[in-house]
Amino acid sequence: MVDGVSQMMDEAERREALLAHLVEAGYVRLEPPILQPASVFLDQSGEDIRGRLYLTSDAGGRDFCLRPEYTIPVFRDHLASARAGEPAAYSYLGPVFRFRDHGAGEFVQAGLESFGRTDREAADAEILTLALEAAEAAADRSFEVRTGDAGLFLRLLDALALPEAWARRVRRGHAQGLDLDAMLAVRSDGGFEHAGVLAALENVDRREARALVEDLLAIAGIASVGGRSAAEIAERFLEQASMKGEAAIGHEQREALRRFLEVDGDPDAASAALRALASEAGLDLDAALDSFDARLNFIAARGLDLTRLSFSSRFGRRLDYYTGFVFEVLAPGQAERLIVSGGRYDGLSRALGAAQDIPAVGAAIWCERLFAGAERDGEPS
Amino acid sequence: MSELADDAPLVLAVPSKGRLQENANAFFARAGLLVVQGRGVRDYRGALTGVAGVEVAFISASEITQQLAAGAVHLGVTGEDLVRESVPGADLKMEFLTPLGFGHANVVVAVPQAWIDVKTMTDLEDVAAAYRAKRGERMRVATKYVNLTRRFFAERGVTDYRIVESLGATEGAPAADQAELIVDITTTGTTLRANGLKALEDGVILRSEANLVASLTARWSETQRASARSILSRIAAEEEARTNREVRAMVEGDRDALAREAGELFGARALFAATGEGQLTLICAQSQTAALADWLLEHGAGHVAVGALDYLFTARNALYEKLARRWEQAAPVG
Repeated sequence: MVDGVSQMMDEAERREALLAHLVEAGYVRLEPPILQPASVFLDQSGEDIRGRLYLTSDAGGRDFCLRPEYTIPVFRDHLASARAGEPAAYSYLGPVFRFRDHGAGEFVQAGLESFGRTDREAADAEILTLALEAAEAAADRSFEVRTGDAGLFLRLLDALALPEAWARRVRRGHAQGLDLDAMLAVRSDGGFEHAGVLAALENVDRREARALVEDLLAIAGIASVGGRSAAEIAERFLEQASMKGEAAIGHEQREALRRFLEVDGDPDAASAALRALASEAGLDLDAALDSFDARLNFIAARGLDLTRLSFSSRFGRRLDYYTGFVFEVLAPGQAERLIVSGGRYDGLSRALGAAQDIPAVGAAIWCERLFAGAERDGEPS
Repeated sequence: MSELADDAPLVLAVPSKGRLQENANAFFARAGLLVVQGRGVRDYRGALTGVAGVEVAFISASEITQQLAAGAVHLGVTGEDLVRESVPGADLKMEFLTPLGFGHANVVVAVPQAWIDVKTMTDLEDVAAAYRAKRGERMRVATKYVNLTRRFFAERGVTDYRIVESLGATEGAPAADQAELIVDITTTGTTLRANGLKALEDGVILRSEANLVASLTARWSETQRASARSILSRIAAEEEARTNREVRAMVEGDRDALAREAGELFGARALFAATGEGQLTLICAQSQTAALADWLLEHGAGHVAVGALDYLFTARNALYEKLARRWEQAAPVG
């Protein structure tokens, strides 16, 4: 028992040292309420998170949960504060709560958030290097870093000018970790057998075709059911039908995607490979790649050896959340146990009700995993 | 609930009302087991005629599910949909012994019929993503099957939705603008159609029916196990009798050899071991009887008599063995 207690004391001290590292760097400690409105997390993370939330409700029937993470509570506190419009840097340390099949549902997270800085590449570099330094100093060991760039992938999709339906499919396929062939496979589930209607509309102008399908829906007495308008339904009906017949996606576009998704490894080499790919395919990725290089330069300038970083174009899957740089810190040989995970989420401020996009980048550090040896179980992120 | 004592009876939970109760009673009656309720209407305990040491508890189907999971009853009749929805890790806590052939219902994903562009879960995923991108809100799914929905949607990669818990008349939610789509139980699809909804082609989450379920978390004493064996052997005997036929013929060849060949060709079993010529009595699946009869005629039988059976008891009781295997795996049992 004495050992257990002294180990806990030791861990508490190390956590405080970790936090002190962040505070010294100018990140003001925030401690948002543990009890949070549940709807915010359900809106942001969807139903996946519901099964892991500790939910409760008040006498008025409003749903609350124990905070499952810090980013959203910290951001909400920031938006509600007098400094909402200004750049701000925050740190945190405390318990978060997620239901798990095995193991305790309460664990300690530390982390840092940077809001409102428009020098994005410098802010990205600062968050990564600071989180890594703090974690390595507190645990007294060195870790590996994986990086990715969600913004680059989104920019590539824009530059490829894919039809909207295909762009959506590629984004989703990427998010689900599908390989390219699976993403682009033409559906064989026979979804569209309305050959008569479609044949009649074949040579008709797109807008007229849509008007006709809308009229058909109106004749059937259908205006707006289940929150989707007749126009939306008609539009997608025709769009899906058009995806059936044609070659799914151009050969050049497919090749560009394939080459892009193969880029993996040393970040400087990755940058060069991506530039070569862009120029050969005639795609304008300059701004995104300049930003990529600038970020690397800032990281190097902060004293982190770039050879410690690996880049993967397949990393950065949560495109509905992350909008730019993404990174993970892990112990060598333990790919499934993230110690730090972080990235840029410029869209979060609007999703939380702010009037404009506020640049935001941050990272969370899993303290149990940071201080535990390999034997302890951690929750996959 | 507290643990069941060693000398306590085996507790069999059956639905306390409605169609489910009638069907469950009919099922046990077929196996020669009559469910007798206590005298008063308010008496929620009863007995099973013909098997000693069994107490029948009349409770609601959803309560049965909970009590099976908690080990407060030994055997129970309940729907698979309820188990899958409300008991995490159900396969570790209970064993589905046999489907009962009633209470059929599917848990399905249904969208408005007006969504002519949506037929599959892939369509739904696409539409849900576009819906969120356009409106900044997630599509709402009305259901009482929160866990089943969450699991199924996650498997199919659908993430852009929110569940609106619905405790009744779920199918009316889209028309009332409380949800865009629903996940609900349906037997014939009539209710869905009446509400302007259609099930997605690959949107069947679960094909459910009433099951006889054994609790693995309950304490099973020797006498309770013996009671379970009696109940299950009668159920199995009735099931065997219902699905098989007795086939009799006078044959000239060697009965043992013919029986073995009939076993290979038609899955038939000889009821009695016998050699040489004489009367051969076989048990055969109902679907194979005509073919078996033809085959016997070809092999010199003058007549072939086929008859139904009331009960067919066998030394090997598949239902009980299923349960016994789980006890072995879970050993040591206190």
